[in-house]
Amino acid sequence: MRFGRTVALDGIELTLEEGITGLFGPNGSGKSTLLRAVAGLVRPSQGRITFEGAPVAAADEGWRRLVGYAGHESGLYPNLTVSENLELFGRLYGSNPARPASLLSQLGLEGRSKTLAGELSAGLKRRAAVARALVGEPRLLLLDEPYANLDDDSAALVTEALVAWREPGRSALIATHGARKLKAFADAGVILRRGRIVTQGRYRDSSQQRRPFHETATP
Amino acid sequence: MTKTMWLAAKDLRIEMRARDTLAPMLGFAATVALVLAFALPEASSAGDDVVSYVQAGFMWVTVLFAGLIGFGRTFEVERAEGALDSLLLVPVDRSALFVSKALSNLAFIVVLETVLLPLSALLFAYDLGGSWGALVAVVALVDVGFVAVGTLYAALAAQTRSRELLLPLLALPALIPVFIAALELTADLLLGAGFDALAARGWFGILVAFDVVFVTAGAVLFDAVLD
Repeated sequence: MRFGRTVALDGIELTLEEGITGLFGPNGSGKSTLLRAVAGLVRPSQGRITFEGAPVAAADEGWRRLVGYAGHESGLYPNLTVSENLELFGRLYGSNPARPASLLSQLGLEGRSKTLAGELSAGLKRRAAVARALVGEPRLLLLDEPYANLDDDSAALVTEALVAWREPGRSALIATHGARKLKAFADAGVILRRGRIVTQGRYRDSSQQRRPFHETATP
Repeated sequence: MTKTMWLAAKDLRIEMRARDTLAPMLGFAATVALVLAFALPEASSAGDDVVSYVQAGFMWVTVLFAGLIGFGRTFEVERAEGALDSLLLVPVDRSALFVSKALSNLAFIVVLETVLLPLSALLFAYDLGGSWGALVAVVALVDVGFVAVGTLYAALAAQTRSRELLLPLLALPALIPVFIAALELTADLLLGAGFDALAARGWFGILVAFDVVFVTAGAVLFDAVLD
């Protein structure tokens, strides 16, 4: 994946399994670009991304139905309330009408449902962004820094929402600097550096103290 | 309500709260109409050939540029907070997305004209007699094509850094036929032509053809433009 002369991603070979995969790496390592590419928002200059054998593209309506994405920004309409945002996206995804209210409750946003999204604090906005990404009950969830600006209690709410969303047949790729929070419940991890995967693998046992990447390691 | 209507209603609701689009459009149109009202000599009289063409030209040039201000803001509500990515990923047919954006733009243009037409009639002392109905028909035909072109090119320009510059550069050449037709038909109305006389002129057909071509092009090409 190139942007002008800059190579953002190079030689990425990644198979996303069921469950939650953490995407770790320093700033500028290509995490956000990888998420955008998987969502179909940017097209790789070489190679291809497939989902169940079919190429991924945001132009494909069927693909869009499967994906929940929250990038660096909240993706919300600042002049709509939190509740109006979730209801709008819920309707567009054709999800259960009770889903927005349930997510508001799950992410501790009931008291802010009538607040304009643009007036939320950074942490509340992040939680609302996660709710928006989850509202369509996606099979593939792509989150960029869902724990940014969150205190421990808020982070715990996000974790609970992600764990509640995790079901057989669903996959998530979650980019974060807060590796500690994600490692506590993720099923797999990938480390990127300078646009390349340096390590990837699945966690051995979710009940034990986790040390990532036991199964495979890319030198 | 369909998904298209939900999306259009969202744009209108946001505009009701923010007033970011209509306020500059109306402010621009009112200012230009007021200044142009002083451009015509005091002795000019309604029904005069030249005066009618100038009056019609003033009105449509004002609509054209005020409209471009509005079209330039078509995707601004999505630009804040990265909502464009959210919109691009919703499972809604892209032609429905085009229609929803075109509907909200049409609503803004109709509000603009609802203010501008009576204001122009007052400032320029239009004498339309019983031809207001015919003028509304002309305006409706112009608006459809104008909005279709504006919305399509706004989507194209929205993804560039120089979008404010690019939109008029792209849209103005495409809009020349529709505004020449609008000018000719409105001048005829100001000169006292009836609806039958207007319908007999080729400009009506040009407007209808333009509308069909650009509404279809918008619905078909919107996907490729956004991609």
